[in-house]
Amino acid sequence: MTEPLTTELKKALYGWFYPYKYSLERWAYALQRISGIAVAGYFLAHIVETGNVVGGLDVWTVPSASTARDVWTATFRFLDNPLFDAGLIVIGFMLAYHTVNGIRLTLTEFGFLQGRPTRPDFPYEPKSFTKAQRALFWLSVLFAAATAVYALNVFFGV
Amino acid sequence: MKESTKMLLHYITGIGIVVAGGVHVFTVFFTGPYLQNLAFNGGPYSVIAVYRNLLLAATLELLLIFVDYHALNGIRVILIEFHQGTNWERGVSWILTVTGILLLVYGTRTILIANALA
Repeated sequence: MTEPLTTELKKALYGWFYPYKYSLERWAYALQRISGIAVAGYFLAHIVETGNVVGGLDVWTVPSASTARDVWTATFRFLDNPLFDAGLIVIGFMLAYHTVNGIRLTLTEFGFLQGRPTRPDFPYEPKSFTKAQRALFWLSVLFAAATAVYALNVFFGV
Repeated sequence: MKESTKMLLHYITGIGIVVAGGVHVFTVFFTGPYLQNLAFNGGPYSVIAVYRNLLLAATLELLLIFVDYHALNGIRVILIEFHQGTNWERGVSWILTVTGILLLVYGTRTILIANALA
């Protein structure tokens, strides 16, 4: 620990958001992290949001169905606007990317699609990022884009 | 818990989310008009109908447990990659564990009460 915490955090975040001379694998990593944080944020909001299905934070016994319905309908009306819909499209993209790229990472974790170890030569491309891995990465981007287009159609009826 | 156990659980819950989350997304978007499915009641897959269906409610509870662990462990991994040190790692783990339990309790409350709604 040679540097103060804030300097380290700044450096780490800078590394993600300044993708200068990134390899494809590094892009995959940065996107996985960013999408993970985005979806975790959505999860938090979603738990609070769906809590209103039964009437919100202070309801801990079974309320009457009409109370619950009123609170949920009000919540839904509040959330049903172009700003949140656009947010959901972004979340859809992030979630789809995180899913397929996550499957790639799981396969990697358990030793699949790794290729054989070889001598490192210039230009030192990551050898573990095999053709199958690249294909899965691009598949995740494609799937994410398709999800975003689908969500665009659902929310804005393009 | 060993770091490797935590990561193994991370991958297992990840696979679990693909399955349970798939069911969740399917019931909301692919079983009829999305607006009808997000209405309080009315359709076969409206909000309350899903919570009252024991199998679907159980799937939601599983999804809640999986995502809760996966999300908070993911944040833990990111935070201990940013900075290392016993106090930092302990503090991060404690705060995230408490957050995770609170989220789990609140989400489970929603599922249980919604399941019992008259």
